[in-house]
Amino acid sequence: MTGREAVNRRHGMLLMAPTVLALGTLTVYPGIWVLWLSLQHRIPIFGVSRFAGFDNYAFLAFDSRFASALATTLIFAVTSVALEVVLGVAAALAIHSLRGGRRVALSLLLLAWAMPAVVTAKLFEWLYHPTAGLLNVALGGHALNWLGDPRLALPAIVVADVWRTMPFVAVLCYARLLAIPPEVYEAAQVDGAGRVATLVRITLPMLGRILLLAILFRTLDALRAFDLMFVLTGGGPAGTTETLTVYAYRALFQTLQLGFGSALGVVVFALVMTVAWAYLKLLRTSTVTA
Amino acid sequence: MRSRAWCAWLALGALFVLFLTAAGCVRRPESEPITLVFKYSRILGKGDPVPGLLREFEGAHPGVRVKGEALPWTSDDQHQLYVINLEGRSPGFDVMMLDCIWVPEFARAGWLVDLTAQLTPDELAPYFASAVTAGTYEDRVWALPWNMNVGLLYYRSDLLARYGLRPPETYEELIAAVGRIRDAERNPALEGYLWQGKQYEGLVVNVLEALWANGTGLFGEDGAILPDPARAADALRFLRRLIETNVSPAWTTAADEELSRRAFGDGHAIFLRNWPYAMDLFEAPGSAVRGKVAFVSLPGRARGAAGVGSTGGAHLGVSRRSRHPELAVALVRHLTSRPAQRAIALSAALSPTRRDLYHDAELVRARPGMPRLDELMMAGRPRPVTPAYLLVSSTVQPEFSAALVGVKSPERAIADARARLHYFLESLR
Repeated sequence: MTGREAVNRRHGMLLMAPTVLALGTLTVYPGIWVLWLSLQHRIPIFGVSRFAGFDNYAFLAFDSRFASALATTLIFAVTSVALEVVLGVAAALAIHSLRGGRRVALSLLLLAWAMPAVVTAKLFEWLYHPTAGLLNVALGGHALNWLGDPRLALPAIVVADVWRTMPFVAVLCYARLLAIPPEVYEAAQVDGAGRVATLVRITLPMLGRILLLAILFRTLDALRAFDLMFVLTGGGPAGTTETLTVYAYRALFQTLQLGFGSALGVVVFALVMTVAWAYLKLLRTSTVTA
Repeated sequence: MRSRAWCAWLALGALFVLFLTAAGCVRRPESEPITLVFKYSRILGKGDPVPGLLREFEGAHPGVRVKGEALPWTSDDQHQLYVINLEGRSPGFDVMMLDCIWVPEFARAGWLVDLTAQLTPDELAPYFASAVTAGTYEDRVWALPWNMNVGLLYYRSDLLARYGLRPPETYEELIAAVGRIRDAERNPALEGYLWQGKQYEGLVVNVLEALWANGTGLFGEDGAILPDPARAADALRFLRRLIETNVSPAWTTAADEELSRRAFGDGHAIFLRNWPYAMDLFEAPGSAVRGKVAFVSLPGRARGAAGVGSTGGAHLGVSRRSRHPELAVALVRHLTSRPAQRAIALSAALSPTRRDLYHDAELVRARPGMPRLDELMMAGRPRPVTPAYLLVSSTVQPEFSAALVGVKSPERAIADARARLHYFLESLR
């Protein structure tokens, strides 16, 4: 290492220091603390504080409410992200093909995304209202019990989530579409490719990487979904819309079982990290092949 | 090169100093007047009477300012705000409005000032005994009752009168009345009996009332968990049957207080279980059911116990972190005083915790139901008074909901609730 490199390295470390310090105090330290808490029975109000080993995790392994929350979380993440991607791409293509009014269309689309989740939830609460809701009025006599039927509640929340976050996928895809040079399409036309062939062979592959990124963001968000179910159903009926984060919230903030709640938090963290790691790996390999 | 490194150090140093000074500026000078902060949820009605009461207090205590700060809307959010601030030892507020189910929890956590020694011997006598009980934990008084609630059965007096029916004393009579009226009215939009079956605290209240009507409860006298599982399961099956037989609509499983109150208030139901606040809204100008609503005690079961409404309400307590506990206690006394509660009852849909106000001439003129309400409040029963209440409630909610929507059999739901309660309550020892 030359003297100059050593100086550069020192500068680099120096400039990194604030970030590392901030991340360390704000993320790593609390993270380790939560991990430590999860190995304890800790309920401050009752003066309970003792080492529990893996008791909390052992309970989770046989906890039907945990199993149900895990299943709900996964079903919610898979269905909502899948729908968001399909509809998002469709919306991006539709806007891209517009001759005029693109700006208006984009703004309208972004409006849904810009709304706070709680506002969206309140909006859907009225749409799903059993007697006065727009949906049931539109359905005429067939009043459906949207948020009170265990078969309908989760789909109803998925729809609300798709409405809210599909624009995020759409905007990302739209930006990528704008960056595809027109020559590519001209060449395809010269080669005699039809509309479908152009879409499948050119547009979608070009969107591939940005879609992967969008899916990564959306999946990580969906795995931590909280606000919509918290406001709309509170996790009910029969716990069918209770996600892991709602369960963790009830344990941590409502009933102050810090040890047990932390164990739930650790599970959510592990789940999110595993998925993120898998995606990043996929993203890296696709970078190599692209 | 060297000079750049210096620049970087200098910049970092400058940032650090800036940060420190900014933090220093936040600290307040000592000479300001004393400020008390009162956390409460805004009162709906003709106008929030609280600001006026706070100004009154300021007038009586020169040099003291009282800031009323709004709590979040939902009970869950309010609880979370308190817990985070109190567990974090924040002195951000002095007087707190507390849902009565939190008082034992907060007292046990050491977050409240013990008021016992400061009370005069007969100071608690004018209050409803059950409200005083709710503010008492381990024989010490931690909060004074501020407003009071009890579960009631509202009914459409016009419809019952049309068919010569008396208000039901048992659920069996209620079901018969629903059948009779709906057969004759031939109005498909007219529901029978509305109550709260959404998975939330209100469901626990409704199930508790069903358990009591069936002669059992969530805890036995000796603290046993769900001491009579068969009766408890029978109560759940009864609630489920109400929905299956369409006495109560399918959407009962998504109904909270407001959802059911609105449907009844729009004239779409014969019976409703709700709190006293609803009466003011039914009697408001422009209401579709104005003059057509009355209330009685909740029904009992034909071969069970008489009906009992669950009590609820809000208490006022003083934060252990308050810098001016004596003044804060004085503020609690002021706000729970007879004149203050009277002013609140006159301008808002909240019921007082002092019994004699229910027979106050002016209040009775404004709300003719007051004397009757007094009887029902007296008969009301509190939810289990335990510092673990929220743990108990959030544990049983999904089980009760599962029985109502038919995902679990009532027996299974009760067995699961018992097992889970047993595990969690055991871990508190």
